[in-house]
Amino acid sequence: MRRIILVVTLALFGGAGLLDPASACAQARVKVGVLKLTSSAPIFIGVEKGFFKEFGVEPELVYFQAAAPIATALAARQLDVGATGLTAALYNIVLGGEQLWIVADKGREWPGYPLVAIVVQKALWEAGLRSVKDLKGRRIGVTQLGSTFHFHIGNILEKDGLTLSNVTIVPLQAMPATVEALKGKQVDAILVPQPFPGVAESQGFGKIMAWAGDLYPWQIAAIVYSKTFAADRARAVAFMKGYVTASRYYYDAVLVQKDGRLTPGPNYDEVVAITAKYTGAPLDIIRLGFPFQDRNGRLLVTDVERQMTWWQRNGFIKRVLPLKQMVDTSFVEEASKSLGN
Amino acid sequence: MERVTVHDRTAFLIRPEHRVVRVLAVLGLLALWEVCTRLGWVPALFLPSPLGVIGELIDMTRSGQILVHVAASLRRLVLGFIIGAGAGMTVGVAVGFFALAEAVGQPLIAATFPIPKIALLPLLILWLGIGEASKVTVIVLGVFFPMAINTYAGVRQADPLLIRAAVAFGAGRWSVIRKVVIPSALPMVFAGLKLGAGTALLLLVAAEMIGAESGIGFLVLQAGNLMETTRLMVGIVLLSLLGVLSHWGLTRLERLVLPWRQT
Amino acid sequence: MRVIVERLGKVYRDRLGHAVTALDAIDLEVEPEEFVAVLGPSGCGKSTLLGIIGGLVPATSGRIVFEGERRPGAPLSATVFQEFALFPWRTAQANVEFGLEELGVPAAERARRARGYLEMTGLAGFERKFPHQLSGGMRQRVGLARALAVEPAVLLMDEPFSALDAQTRQLLMEELLAIWGRTRQSIVYVTHNIQEAVFMADRVVVLSRRPGRILDVVDIGLARPRGEAQLADPALVRAVERIWRLIKSEAQAALTEEQTRRPWSE
Repeated sequence: MRRIILVVTLALFGGAGLLDPASACAQARVKVGVLKLTSSAPIFIGVEKGFFKEFGVEPELVYFQAAAPIATALAARQLDVGATGLTAALYNIVLGGEQLWIVADKGREWPGYPLVAIVVQKALWEAGLRSVKDLKGRRIGVTQLGSTFHFHIGNILEKDGLTLSNVTIVPLQAMPATVEALKGKQVDAILVPQPFPGVAESQGFGKIMAWAGDLYPWQIAAIVYSKTFAADRARAVAFMKGYVTASRYYYDAVLVQKDGRLTPGPNYDEVVAITAKYTGAPLDIIRLGFPFQDRNGRLLVTDVERQMTWWQRNGFIKRVLPLKQMVDTSFVEEASKSLGN
Repeated sequence: MERVTVHDRTAFLIRPEHRVVRVLAVLGLLALWEVCTRLGWVPALFLPSPLGVIGELIDMTRSGQILVHVAASLRRLVLGFIIGAGAGMTVGVAVGFFALAEAVGQPLIAATFPIPKIALLPLLILWLGIGEASKVTVIVLGVFFPMAINTYAGVRQADPLLIRAAVAFGAGRWSVIRKVVIPSALPMVFAGLKLGAGTALLLLVAAEMIGAESGIGFLVLQAGNLMETTRLMVGIVLLSLLGVLSHWGLTRLERLVLPWRQT
Repeated sequence: MRVIVERLGKVYRDRLGHAVTALDAIDLEVEPEEFVAVLGPSGCGKSTLLGIIGGLVPATSGRIVFEGERRPGAPLSATVFQEFALFPWRTAQANVEFGLEELGVPAAERARRARGYLEMTGLAGFERKFPHQLSGGMRQRVGLARALAVEPAVLLMDEPFSALDAQTRQLLMEELLAIWGRTRQSIVYVTHNIQEAVFMADRVVVLSRRPGRILDVVDIGLARPRGEAQLADPALVRAVERIWRLIKSEAQAALTEEQTRRPWSE
């Protein structure tokens, strides 16, 4: 009699373990920090079209309003993956002793591919504020100090013979707030990524002075792995396979150029619709342009070192870290190879 | 026959000051913290070591950064405090002494005082811009209310006997205000100043986190944005020092101005 | 100066409109350089009377007239309070100077007079002390100096030594008489202590319970200067007995009556 009870109890608990769907799902779930921007489109595509599920991972999207907090969340082990901008904060986190890994391309500022724009007040544009040189002495709004926008405007100014000290950088902490500040005339110009520049023009309070990528190209955003996620090789590579698949789909749909002009691919409308759904922006604003990234998600690794040098020169980070302590391209290489072509 | 010696039964009620233990407690905590960080029990990024913070403080002092930030913050703080306290005292005396002013002022103050001044900051920025004006104004508002309310209370509790005595010796309305009501109210005024100083510091930091280029609040914001946690701690230490020093300073001032107060 | 109190009446109205008659048709004259005590059970309006004379309480009916010679710039009266009423934030000297400030006396002269009267009241060397650093007796001396400093025509004293212990009271009473011997203004001295009244005054005005009326005015024929020796003088003892018989029943009734509050301190 006792033996029967023992067997039944074991079966119940054991069976429960096997049958429990939650534990299996817990393994597959990957927490991904993203921003609601056009540049996150490959992630949205991957989720929507099941490319990640194909390889056994289920991304759980966590939305943020600025890039640096994603890095902080990664360091605090609240996220596994971050799809975020390369900010001074990210470098300081690694310098401060918390390991993070930059593993893939998630957006480059590239000529001809609109991502971030310098948007000025409509009234100032009409009064003659038309070029970078005109920004001297002006108030420029960004999300945070040490953000990608800060880096970008700093380099753009230096190209025209100016420096950061010739302008006033106003940190507004979140992208919607930055846009509001332009609307409310608290600042003269802002740097924001798509879809916000399009929104500002369509609502009539801003004018796109220039696409920042036309003025200064760089590796602006990346996929970043947390220390523990990177150590879980199987899941990390699986996620990357899903990402590379999505990246190729994205590239073929919206980034292909024939004879120097953008030629929409067969899935263009679908990608526009997915992006509009996840960012909440109107379709025609999305259609204004998609940001560039490598078809296979490969990083511009040397640019990472160039960034760190600039940050250090301007006093935002204390020293430059050797690349191999921060960048790991093995995931994207392994994924691309296994996917073929 | 019995002989019994009387013993002191209140011995257990004595509370020694334990001065040494107090100091050791603080030093002990700092030492423990330093050890934890060194051993890696706590990640250095999340909780910088005390010695690291002191080192950063020294570096920043040498480079002059500390002076820039502290000076900017002090300028805003002192200006806001003086205007807010001055306005608060004037309104408090008026509302306390004149019945008409009380009828108008008291309900207005009671209605507006509960509003957290931090919540007004976005509105002030809208009206006055991102510059110094909105920052100083929010500090003025934060200091005004405790000062007005405390001065009012101080005026109301002025001893009627002393007012009578003053009138008996020929004092008119303004003499009574100047020579009896205001000196009577001073202890409560100082209580208001201390309250106001705490609020002012809080509002200073909040204001400096929006559209500033210098100041301790800005330093904290910038260090936070850049994930430079050691500098962040320096900012926090500076704020704490500012709070302690202002309280100490006000207490010393109080003893100087009110030598007749036996505590 | 002479103080003429003509058919003086005072009626208080409380918040509910109830009328309380504190004083009823008081007629009195205080001669120049005379020491008059006003005595009666509690609630008899004696402090009210003093307040009206000093211009601190308005009369409901009748009037007060000061008649005679007055030094230029001197006020009609000055008051010494039972609870001292010193300004705690002012030193002894600054307290004494208060009335002089209000009279517009220039600073050097103020300081001179203040120091002089502090010396007269035995407080030389204590000019820079604050009231909280002084004993009760010393504080009242400051109060006295403050009132004397303005050199009023009439000195009004409202139970000035009630808040002090018996020994201090006796000493200060003798001191007051000695000082008065030199300054010689009229004094109206309110007290509830019969012995005190008889010891100090030329005449004792005895008031009844509320509504306060004059029961009698007793002449005190004791010679001056008065000192400890007079305490046992049969004339003094007889006067005390006479007054006590007058007010004994009043005092007994006052004991069972409800406590009345001074309206101006509400």
